[in-house]
Amino acid sequence: MSTTLKRVHGYLAEFDSVKELYHAAEKVNEAGYNRWDVHSPFPIHGMDHAMGVKRSKLPWLVFFGGAAGTTTAFLLQYITQVKLYPTIVQAKPATIFSLPAWFPVMFELTILFSAFTTLFGLLALIGLPRLNHPLFASKRFPKFSDDGFFVCIEARDPKFSQVGTKSFLEEIGGKNIELVEDEI
Amino acid sequence: MSHHVTFKDLPEGGEKFDPAKGSKLIGAFAVIGGLGLVGSIYGFVAHADVFSYSWLFAIFFAFTVMVGSCFWILLHNASNSSWGVVIRRLFENLANMVPVLAILALPLLLPSVQSHLYEWMNHHREAAHHAQEAGISVKEALHHMAEENQHLHVLVEKFGYLNITKHFVPPFSWQTRFLLYFFVLWYIARHMRGLSLRQEQDGDIRHTIAARNSSCRWLFPFALTATFASVDWLMSLDYTWFSTMWGVYIFAGSAWASMAIMIMLVAWLRSLGYLQKVVSEEHYHLMGKLLFAFTVFWAYIAFSQYFLIWYANITEETRFYLIRNTAGWRWVSIFIVVGHFIGPFILLLSQPRKKNPVVMVTVCLWIIFMHVVDMYWNVIPERGPSLGLGVLAPGAIWGDIFALMAVVGTMGFLFLRKLGGNSLYPWRDPRLLESVNVVN
Repeated sequence: MSTTLKRVHGYLAEFDSVKELYHAAEKVNEAGYNRWDVHSPFPIHGMDHAMGVKRSKLPWLVFFGGAAGTTTAFLLQYITQVKLYPTIVQAKPATIFSLPAWFPVMFELTILFSAFTTLFGLLALIGLPRLNHPLFASKRFPKFSDDGFFVCIEARDPKFSQVGTKSFLEEIGGKNIELVEDEI
Repeated sequence: MSHHVTFKDLPEGGEKFDPAKGSKLIGAFAVIGGLGLVGSIYGFVAHADVFSYSWLFAIFFAFTVMVGSCFWILLHNASNSSWGVVIRRLFENLANMVPVLAILALPLLLPSVQSHLYEWMNHHREAAHHAQEAGISVKEALHHMAEENQHLHVLVEKFGYLNITKHFVPPFSWQTRFLLYFFVLWYIARHMRGLSLRQEQDGDIRHTIAARNSSCRWLFPFALTATFASVDWLMSLDYTWFSTMWGVYIFAGSAWASMAIMIMLVAWLRSLGYLQKVVSEEHYHLMGKLLFAFTVFWAYIAFSQYFLIWYANITEETRFYLIRNTAGWRWVSIFIVVGHFIGPFILLLSQPRKKNPVVMVTVCLWIIFMHVVDMYWNVIPERGPSLGLGVLAPGAIWGDIFALMAVVGTMGFLFLRKLGGNSLYPWRDPRLLESVNVVN
């Protein structure tokens, strides 16, 4: 007799091809589900559009990250080379007009800060790193990295229902529909 | 994927441009070109000294567009990319205007024109004269002259490259190279379009593979052409000045401007009802991304060139920027920084704007204008000091405008007239459908 508590993660449905997965995604989106995702062994062009994914917030993070980099580099050089310790090198004035000399550092820090915000912002937005994922409990799911095309509708979706979602997935052509449960 | 196009949707034989449909623009080019040619002939006759610079400026502007077109064809074939198949033919046709440009550029071969533009040629001609009298070589004669005029030592040192007498010994004379540059571009343009047209006859994939092979091979002579043409024609306006960034700088502007022309051409053809099925907003987006890339690339190169010269502060090198950063030219320099880089950079950042033809055409018009300003800024500031006319030779700007009208008008007119000669896109290219349905 098992005493392990389990939580329903959602329904996992398998599809045979990219085409079927694409059309299934369109239908799931039309049905108004919010908490769901598709899994495929390779990126599928236009899948964002089919899923109705909204634009990512990441560009805004990157913009401000980059702007912070430019500002940091500018202040770093302006404060040290004009305010604190002005040094005349090669007849260049130790004023704001030495700006061209600072451009390389400003450029590089912009890139560096943008890259950092891109990477860490992305990880934060997609919720990585994490130790495990409920879908790994499914025996069929490892096929996603080989030849499996999956749609998973999560239980936390407001429209989710144990009977209705299953029949909906059957209706749009899903196979091997499985209720994935997560051990807690 | 919802707008998936198949061969059934595309007409057999591609689409052919009917010049009668575009008669407004063709007529406008004809009028502009005709007026420009009349003004240019007057310029050459009445003010040959000032007008030589105008003509060089106009010719070089058109030359950069040819260089850019050849580059996009070669890059497209060499990288075996599929998205641009539908616009490749337009580039091929544009690049085939090289012979027209070569004819228009012929005045630059005349010693009477060169004498105003290239001071070093005058010294060389004088040296050649002395050499004949004294029975010595031109270089030796130049060396003798340098004993009295110290500046000429530079010319003795540069004699191996910068000369007008060693026509058949590599790296050849200025004149031989002049012809060679046109030959390379003409060969690339003709060869690539030839392969593309032959494929329309037999539909054989071997032409695609042949184009890829020869594109990889011709990229090298192409790079030499773009680099040394800009060295020969612009950098040697001041024989003491040099910059190793120069060729890349000119190339960056060339690729940028010709992509902008392509976007406008595609939008214009679509407004006349062509290319409706084959070009989508995805293509505008892709071309816009390349335009954006070259906006940044140009700025990177332009700043690197300025930065190194500014930092090193060596007399021979700073002259270029000194005359462009003083007096009236200072404002042009600042305008270029803002208009050539910052403006297009911000405008081209957003994806919806890149997909909107109206926005893109507006941005591209601005980009062409800025490229003209950039070329102007490279050539013309040399004119006043060289001819002893002060900073800005008064009234000379009219000559510049007429020269630009003559070259752009003539080439635009002939290009559009000839555009109907073959299909607007390579309709039997094996990657056509992939290109038509591209999603990015």
